[in-house]
Amino acid sequence: MGLKVQPGVIGCTIRPVITGRTRSLEEIIYDTAQMALADAGLTIDDIDGICVASNDQFDGRAISVMMASGSVGGVDRDILSTPSAGEHAFILGALRVATGQFRTQLIVSWSPTEVSSMPEAQRLGTDPYFHRALPLDELSAHALQASALEHALPGARRAAEAVAAKNRAQGGARPEEGTSRWPLTPSMTSQPVTGAVALVLASPDFIAERGMTKIAWLQGMGWATEAGFLGDRDLSTAPALEAAARQAYAMAGVTDPAHAFGVAEITDATPYSELLAYEALGLCRRDEWESRTADGSFRVGGRLPVNPSGGVLTWNPVFCTGMIRIAEVAQQVRGRAGAHQIQGVKRGLAHAGSGFAMQYQSAIVFGSEVRT
Amino acid sequence: MSGDRVGIVGIGQSAFRARRDDANYPELVREAVVLAMADAKMDFDAIEGVVYSLSPDAMIGIGNAERLGVDAVGGRNKPFLRINTGGATGISAVAAAYYHVASGMFDVVLTAGADKVGECGDSQSVLNKIWDPSYERPLPLGTINMLAMSGVRYMQQTGMTEVDMARVTVKNRRHASLNPNAHLRKVVTIDDVLESRIISWPIKLLDCCPQSTGGAALVLASEKYIRDNHLDAVWITGVAHAAETYWMGDRMGNNPTAEHAGAHALGRSFEKSYRMAGITDPMKQVHVAELYAPFSNTEFHSIDAARIGGAIGDSVPRLRDGEFDIGGRIPVNPSGGTLCTNAIAVTAMARVAETALQVWGRAGAHQVAGAKLGIASGNGGDHQIFGTMVIEA
Amino acid sequence: MELLGRQEVWSITYDHALGETASSFYTRIRDEAAIYGRRSAGNGRVMVPPRSFSDETLLPTEDWVKVGPGGKIEAFTMVYESFKNLPPPPYAFGYVLLDGADTALGGFFKGVDLSDPAAAAEKLKIGTRIMTKFAAERKGEMLDFWFEVDSPAR
Repeated sequence: MGLKVQPGVIGCTIRPVITGRTRSLEEIIYDTAQMALADAGLTIDDIDGICVASNDQFDGRAISVMMASGSVGGVDRDILSTPSAGEHAFILGALRVATGQFRTQLIVSWSPTEVSSMPEAQRLGTDPYFHRALPLDELSAHALQASALEHALPGARRAAEAVAAKNRAQGGARPEEGTSRWPLTPSMTSQPVTGAVALVLASPDFIAERGMTKIAWLQGMGWATEAGFLGDRDLSTAPALEAAARQAYAMAGVTDPAHAFGVAEITDATPYSELLAYEALGLCRRDEWESRTADGSFRVGGRLPVNPSGGVLTWNPVFCTGMIRIAEVAQQVRGRAGAHQIQGVKRGLAHAGSGFAMQYQSAIVFGSEVRT
Repeated sequence: MSGDRVGIVGIGQSAFRARRDDANYPELVREAVVLAMADAKMDFDAIEGVVYSLSPDAMIGIGNAERLGVDAVGGRNKPFLRINTGGATGISAVAAAYYHVASGMFDVVLTAGADKVGECGDSQSVLNKIWDPSYERPLPLGTINMLAMSGVRYMQQTGMTEVDMARVTVKNRRHASLNPNAHLRKVVTIDDVLESRIISWPIKLLDCCPQSTGGAALVLASEKYIRDNHLDAVWITGVAHAAETYWMGDRMGNNPTAEHAGAHALGRSFEKSYRMAGITDPMKQVHVAELYAPFSNTEFHSIDAARIGGAIGDSVPRLRDGEFDIGGRIPVNPSGGTLCTNAIAVTAMARVAETALQVWGRAGAHQVAGAKLGIASGNGGDHQIFGTMVIEA
Repeated sequence: MELLGRQEVWSITYDHALGETASSFYTRIRDEAAIYGRRSAGNGRVMVPPRSFSDETLLPTEDWVKVGPGGKIEAFTMVYESFKNLPPPPYAFGYVLLDGADTALGGFFKGVDLSDPAAAAEKLKIGTRIMTKFAAERKGEMLDFWFEVDSPAR
């Protein structure tokens, strides 16, 4: 099992926070797509397929790909859209390049804050049969997961506090805290912001033809899903992420994940999400969470820098945070991560998680070499 | 591509109805999946990934309702993602499943979904929200009047009449009467259509699709897996999408690239699918077509775009002459089509499923004799995003 | 067995940023009772309503162009069916190519007797000249204006 053609990331733009009202959402998406194309040194004429991801309830559009299609160059192009998770657009685009039937794909995801209540928009994602009457939004689901972890592992809270402090320090920019939802404190969450992200993928022959350098090659990719009802899950574990990691590592030939990567970006919707991901991704056993977070193993400068970007705890454009993690690692491998660049990254790991208590889980491995 | 193709190995479809009070949303999905798995003679363990087919959440009243469908499709701890391209969703989901296999990543992938449009009390006001919040929503736009305006322009450009539109309904209802899964199966006359009440002129009640409830599922597999396991299959040999402008007003005025009377991007998508399948003369090479047409008038521009009815507008007299009837030159929508069954999330998947059944020779009473090569299409957005496929025995 | 149901209503409020281009379009409607389009770079098409970029050329639009108030009908329909949260029928609306524009603008057609659909369709047929009418009190929105068929006397 492996991809017929190995895609590489050749262009990228990450906009973790967009403020002001001078641009409509449609215009923000246009700007974002144009920036990614410019970063790749391409024009839309070079793009033969597009994959976008967005959430209709966040966007306030009944089928938001319609509004976005023109913005991303969809007119007269092959465009597909996924609303399940921002990161799923990346997966779909990578699969399309891997078929050999497309040489390039433009991948775009976004998350506005135009809805009067994000919790209310998320609550519509509960089923009307059993759960709609509960005050269940994504943050509440994350809180349930946090409390399940604290129950399963007494030291989890101290480790979570250390992770939150690490990511906030690495992000630097944002002192503003999130919302409290027991046992999550405001410093363990972050307020939603408007953001957008775009990537350009290409096939090896396209890359060779254009003589492109600074490529983040897709070496491994896995994704999996937890059950729909929270009550059917053991929230203190992440079996779907374990399954996703197995897929990605098998494809990438990674046998010792704890020592395989120069950088990782993990979707820290809360620090508990990051801790669970350490375990499921094989980076650190849970009985070592407390010691490893205390000794700085996952800080910039430590054994494996995790979230040098500052993660979701710094900027939280809710729907596209997972895609941003993927883009951040691609930029690290390309040596284009800017002020938070980790020097000499040969291989990086991105974790994208989304939904109620991280129902959707993905693991992506990028490397600077064509083949693993 | 020989040796490297992607095949359809299992098909499941509900008997579509107005309402199903006996089954909730995930149970409907499950129903279609069980049928498809039984048809493929496969166990759930064989499924390596799932593509979920669901169009607007608001239509079903559950945000990201695919998350409730995870267990219905056996997706727990498996690769799973959802596709939404509006009305095209069903064919886009099959295309996404196709890419899962064609990429080399998986051998067996399931795609499935369901809809309960009958439970949505406000489908046209939900659909008003597909348009731009400030420029277009203040108008009473809905999908019916959008395509009524397409019909008005098509009338002006080709001479299509209300009677010609009625003939499409008469044909498709006759076809649906042979298909036990179709929702509207009552045979009607031209006068029945003309005498039905006007919804949005020139579209009358019997020119409209119903709001249907039901599910659909397909199992796709790699050619190698199909050979190794001695499975029976039909093959997806062409697949493409194309989009045109979101702005309906840009499809009018001075020399628009995409004309609102027609289906410009549908034509572009068919061009790509045909090229991939090596089809050079669709008039001669296509044996059967399942074309997404939710209103009678839109079947004509779909036939035009698929280039199976001659020059633009020739589809009108050709339909009158019976060319697109079962038994005619190229039967169009032998299942009764979208006009007789529209469970939005899976309507375009049903086009693929029905085309596959036809070239497989398993379509039952509405079988087109000798069909070996068929085409399917789906239209999404405000007549904006189109998916097409070529399926061969 | 007894089969139960449950009524659920979705009600969410959005505050959509219109951006500079649409904001300017609406303030001009409100303050000047005039409709402006944007000329597209690359192909010179005057887009009405105005967009800040062309989805065909993907280039930004360049300048404002005043269009109308006269124009011709590009598409119309008369709606006779009642839909929830949409106006009470019957009504006529459609798209108009305003003089000086290259793309069509949506709006209601007023002042047409809709009691005989065939006669109304003839009255609104594609190509018919119209005039844009503005409300005396304008809020800066699409419903500040509508279209009326030009009377033969004019």
